[in-house]
Amino acid sequence: MLDKHADYIAAYGSKKDDYEYTLSEYLRMSGIYWGLTVMDLMGQLTRMNQQEISDFIKSCQHDCGGVSASIGHDPHVLYTLSAVQILSLYDNVNVLDVDKVVEYVRGLQQEDGSFAGDKWGEIDTRFSFCAVATLALLGRLDAINMDKAVEFVLSCMNFDGGFGCRPGSESHAGQIYCCTGFLSIAGQLHQVNADLLGWWLCERQLPSGGLNGRPEKLPDVCYSWWVLASLKIIGRIHWIDKSKLRSFILACQDEETGGFADRPGDMVDPFHTLFGVAGLSLLGEGQIKDVNPVLCMPEDVLERLGLHPDLLS
Amino acid sequence: QHGRVKLKSTAQQEEEKRKEREKKLKIYVAARDAIFTKRMEGVLDDEALQLTQQLLSSNPDFATLWNYRREILLHLETKMYEAELLFLESCLKVNPKSYGSWHHRGWVSARLPRPDWARELGLCDRCLSLDDRNFHCWDYRRMVVKMSGVPVDQELQFTDRLIGSNFSNYSSWHYRSTLLPLLHPESPDPPSPCHQPSHSSPPPSPQTHSHRVCEEQLLKEYELVQNAFFTDPNDQSAWFYYRWLLGRAEREEMISCVFVSREEERVAVAFSRPVNASSSGLMLVLDGQPQRVEWRSVHPHFRHSPVWICALPPGTISDIINEHNLTVHWTEKHTHRDSSFLSGRSELSVEKTSVLQSELQSCNQLLELEPQNKWCLLTIVLLMRALDPLGYERETLSHFQTLKEVDSMRSAYYGDLCSKFMIENTILKMEYAEVRVFSLSDKNLTMLCHLDQLLLVTHINLSCNQLLRLPPQFAMLQCLEVLEADDNAIENLDGLYYLPKLQEVSLKNNQISKLSDLQLLTSCPKLTCLDLRGNPVTQIANIQSELTELLPSVTDLLI
Repeated sequence: MLDKHADYIAAYGSKKDDYEYTLSEYLRMSGIYWGLTVMDLMGQLTRMNQQEISDFIKSCQHDCGGVSASIGHDPHVLYTLSAVQILSLYDNVNVLDVDKVVEYVRGLQQEDGSFAGDKWGEIDTRFSFCAVATLALLGRLDAINMDKAVEFVLSCMNFDGGFGCRPGSESHAGQIYCCTGFLSIAGQLHQVNADLLGWWLCERQLPSGGLNGRPEKLPDVCYSWWVLASLKIIGRIHWIDKSKLRSFILACQDEETGGFADRPGDMVDPFHTLFGVAGLSLLGEGQIKDVNPVLCMPEDVLERLGLHPDLLS
Repeated sequence: QHGRVKLKSTAQQEEEKRKEREKKLKIYVAARDAIFTKRMEGVLDDEALQLTQQLLSSNPDFATLWNYRREILLHLETKMYEAELLFLESCLKVNPKSYGSWHHRGWVSARLPRPDWARELGLCDRCLSLDDRNFHCWDYRRMVVKMSGVPVDQELQFTDRLIGSNFSNYSSWHYRSTLLPLLHPESPDPPSPCHQPSHSSPPPSPQTHSHRVCEEQLLKEYELVQNAFFTDPNDQSAWFYYRWLLGRAEREEMISCVFVSREEERVAVAFSRPVNASSSGLMLVLDGQPQRVEWRSVHPHFRHSPVWICALPPGTISDIINEHNLTVHWTEKHTHRDSSFLSGRSELSVEKTSVLQSELQSCNQLLELEPQNKWCLLTIVLLMRALDPLGYERETLSHFQTLKEVDSMRSAYYGDLCSKFMIENTILKMEYAEVRVFSLSDKNLTMLCHLDQLLLVTHINLSCNQLLRLPPQFAMLQCLEVLEADDNAIENLDGLYYLPKLQEVSLKNNQISKLSDLQLLTSCPKLTCLDLRGNPVTQIANIQSELTELLPSVTDLLI
């Protein structure tokens, strides 16, 4: 089915007069990252238009150094990361003014070590991850106060071993992915209670084989990424029933249109397509390239960059 | 996009839908373009507010539009902010899960000269009554509580009310876990704010901080949780919370063991948690004199390790005639240890023991009604471990067997957890007997852990288990002389790294398949006996001579 998925992604961006497509303009940069990454994982990156995308990224970098989701939108650390990830796939980060990107990220760090998403000050551990992931890809982790950044992320650790958006926030698989990814890049994974968190994470698997994001919620293919990658990072991926999860992910494919949906029978989109394929990669699916669990990028790209974030064994 | 069901429809329906969407798109694009044009021209007027309102009502995740509204609001008087709050309320009714809407509301409220926090709390109450798992709302509530100084016990009562209702309580239990340590901190240290979290630094986290809940409150909490899972034994939130309550007291951060080898003139130090000794202020004092030594971790893989080693300057303690006094100081923690062994296990208080015993009794009664309830089974295991790990060993193994049957998706988890408990029990037995021989054979072990507690072990038997490797942490067994690990599935020997006293290794019937798997053995200087029978590697051509070349000092080689 991989060819069908590749066809779906390759055609996605071309329907620029689609209502949903336009409504999601506010996250376009991430949308492009999702599409390109899944294509690369399937060995089909060349079907995408590198020049058009590079030009687009260039026109999205603002004077402050940050990158926006699309032209006319405001810069934000989420899209700054996506842009750097895309350019890393193409081995062409110099399309951006890298020093200015570093300055922008540095400027987002607060006194307590946390990171704001942009100048308007929303704090979230997602942004801590975006900041260090961006700097790691650019080889510039020295630009921030890492000790303080770690201190803040650890202050978001909860009774169940998980992490939330801010200190006191409930554990959520997406945040856990960001925080374990952060701690991996920061070389501080030993601070995680891997047995406790691993248990919470493996309890995300429901009888259907799918994974949810927190207790009492519905399963969703994107959690095949957030939960699975977190488990891989903390060395507990074998605590999940792999064959049941694989069946669930495959059931989320749309055989007619290509692509993956959040759960069987729903509408597909690039976001769930990437995380379905990436999840299968982590499960050892032969025809898909190895994906790095920390950065959600093909391992061979990170190999080229000399990036090997820690994983617990 | 989540939860959008795919519906099949006729060609005519498809065409009508297409026309509809085309129309919607045109309107949307016109508004968006108008907004961008105005913004580019630096316009901050009412029309901009109208247009952005139009788009944000249906697309509140369009973050740039909230930014634009803030720019406009900054130019208006704050009495205009009331309209903004009303607009936000309507947005949140439609989509209560938009990061942008909640952040904007927080921004507006904070900018008011007299924010109406009571109103904001009311908004949270209403929102949570519709969906008490909405983490955006909970986070907003936490901000309101912090800004307005709502007392902690008032918020605890709020969680009581929510927990009283039946479904989806996880968020409430979670909130409780953060509130309790604030209200009832465990003395003596560290000093904690009893009523208000400090505004400047992040509040302590329930996992990493020594802000434990004081015992009296803890016991009351057991009762509360028990009511919850007895009312609904499938309410997983209560079971998760209960596991936290049962968590053994963390060992204080300290040096747990110092081992000195006269013959090798070497000191090994074990800590209660992984540390980075190069930056930790670790000081060696011999006969009153501080020594200049370099500390290295047991394995290059670990920058943070529970065990660190240093070589003593030659000749300092090798003479057997004189007695020496050696102390290791951990200046970062203001603690030190002489070369002795200390077991840092906390004992349960009498009240706690009797409470846990009655808990165990109740859970066993529940198990009779619900023999397949995995939460109950696992909790019984945890209770037994808290009370008497060695005494309940047989029942524990039996429950793990049942757990693997009733919750088969998580069998690997139960296998590892059971392995951990069996290793803990063996350590306890070893400590009581004060021997340095450690036997873990035929225990269904799927993994190894607590290796940092085996610094003094001289003989270890891991035979007849399901181990796949000897992990890097195995290098912490600095005193090991004899290793028996026959009849496993070991294919990786990463942990046999610079074990200075290792003489005999038996690895019969494992999965060692390449000569390179054995490379690390060259780092063990005293190795003389090696048994590799029953491994795929022995089938390689010329294996006998290859091994003799690789390991010349191994005189007793069995393949």
